[in-house]
Amino acid sequence: MKPTQQETALKKKEAQPMAPVKDRPEYIPATDIYEKEDAILVRCDMPGVAQENVDIQLEHNELKITGTQSEESVENLDRLATEYDQGVFRRTFEVPHQIDRDQIEAKLRNGVLDIVLPKAEEAKPRKIEITTGE
Amino acid sequence: MYWTENANPFDELHALQREMNRLFNGYDERTTLSRFPALNIWGDQEKMVVTAELPGMEPENIDIQVVENQLTLKGERPSDEPAEDAVCHRCERDAGTFTRTIRLPFAIESDKVTATYTNGILTLTLPRLEASKPKQIEINVG
Repeated sequence: MKPTQQETALKKKEAQPMAPVKDRPEYIPATDIYEKEDAILVRCDMPGVAQENVDIQLEHNELKITGTQSEESVENLDRLATEYDQGVFRRTFEVPHQIDRDQIEAKLRNGVLDIVLPKAEEAKPRKIEITTGE
Repeated sequence: MYWTENANPFDELHALQREMNRLFNGYDERTTLSRFPALNIWGDQEKMVVTAELPGMEPENIDIQVVENQLTLKGERPSDEPAEDAVCHRCERDAGTFTRTIRLPFAIESDKVTATYTNGILTLTLPRLEASKPKQIEINVG
């Protein structure tokens, strides 16, 4: 008996529960997170990722970082040893609410991604002056 | 401020499992510790191409040496902490020195080795030493 279209669709969905991107391996990029007085810096190691293949999304308070490594290919040579694959770096962080969303900056240099999340004015530390009540 | 990893916890586990499988696949016990950086190697009878995953380096901090059929990569990744007043919430990226030596199937013409460094990947092209190439011997019919 031929399965109905709906059943086929269901089977397909079951077959790929995690929905990996094109069967490429997924890696968690090693990340440092620093907090300064006026900003938060997220720094990820992403070797082999070109600038156009980095995708950074801030949705609600989730910062999603995706970097797809460029495929390495050497023409006409035999592959003799493979110690790393080209995959997809993926990581999600929850960011605090007090971020100035319009001022977020990112840059990629030598395979290291830097994302600077400036703190919103109201989240910056403030020195409270004590006035003498006289 | 508080940082949490927001994804499904199983994503992380699966990724960890993949990473462990990747680490242990094909590794023999003696050399596991010295296998940084990870290398990919291609080659034929004429040349070898070696690529290394080395994010966050400056090209001048990578030292490449070729002696006959031995390739040595040395370098230092300096700590890139932004400022002394910065608080580190997560510190996963390593800094320090590394050395790795591999033996190639033939001697290399060391003057003709070329190296490029793009997006944290070092690519070396190593042509075979002319004198080490096999020679076809003609048979003279007497």
